[in-house]
Amino acid sequence: MAERPEDLNLPNAVITRIIKEALPDGVNVSKEARRAISQAASVFVLYATSCANNFAMKAKRKTLNAGDVLAAMEEMEFERFLEPLREALEVYKKGQKGKKEVSEQKRKEKEKKANSENDKSREDEGEEEDEPMEEEAENEAEAEEEVEN
Amino acid sequence: MAATVTSLVTATEHDPDRCGSEEETRGAEAEDIDQPQQQTAPAAAVSHSRLSKLPLARIKALMKTDPDVALASQESVFIIAKATELFVEMIAKDALVYAQQGKRKTLQRKDLDNAIEAIDEFAFLEGKLCKDCGGKKM
Repeated sequence: MAERPEDLNLPNAVITRIIKEALPDGVNVSKEARRAISQAASVFVLYATSCANNFAMKAKRKTLNAGDVLAAMEEMEFERFLEPLREALEVYKKGQKGKKEVSEQKRKEKEKKANSENDKSREDEGEEEDEPMEEEAENEAEAEEEVEN
Repeated sequence: MAATVTSLVTATEHDPDRCGSEEETRGAEAEDIDQPQQQTAPAAAVSHSRLSKLPLARIKALMKTDPDVALASQESVFIIAKATELFVEMIAKDALVYAQQGKRKTLQRKDLDNAIEAIDEFAFLEGKLCKDCGGKKM
């Protein structure tokens, strides 16, 4: 299903919440300003993606990775984002690793019950990270469900 | 969509070993981890929103509209989501300066326009925001 950039907006409630939390109490935001910020955020995603993709292509990679995005932030003069982004990435990676280890444990237990002699060692993480972009957005949920299995 | 993504995160959080490392990095919001594992969306949403408030599926769908982009790792989608959050905070605060100059407590569209014009980092936005976005409900 082809979706044009104009059709995709980030959820208004979330954008509003981010704005409210960034500003001091007592400050209001007009509807037009909120709409404009939401639009700006979408443009930001597209611009950052394009910039990051350039780095990936330069490195002859077909998959955008976190490093490409960080390089894009520098290129776009958003160096101030680098430190908080790196920290958030660490937390995210730990969470992902935890998810995989839990799902691996579940898988092991299942197989133990089935075979009762299975001695597979844990696989390394990293396989699930690349996701084909041409598939539907729902596939992200499916891919993560695979991890859970 | 968000519910699907967030419900998976709770699977990790009832494991005490995992909680230990997460508590160090999560700071004030660590008490959420001590809650018993719940499959309800609100509890899951809280734990996931600590990492990213914006739904990764929507961010990824946006990225997909770029024809040059083939594949993107989950991490890259997450980082872009997080960066977008930081960007929204930044532009809101910078626009506020102009509202305050005008002795107003309400951020208006023109404050955004002023910030975009004045601040180098926002140059990429020039001409990109529609003047009067009629039909878009907020």
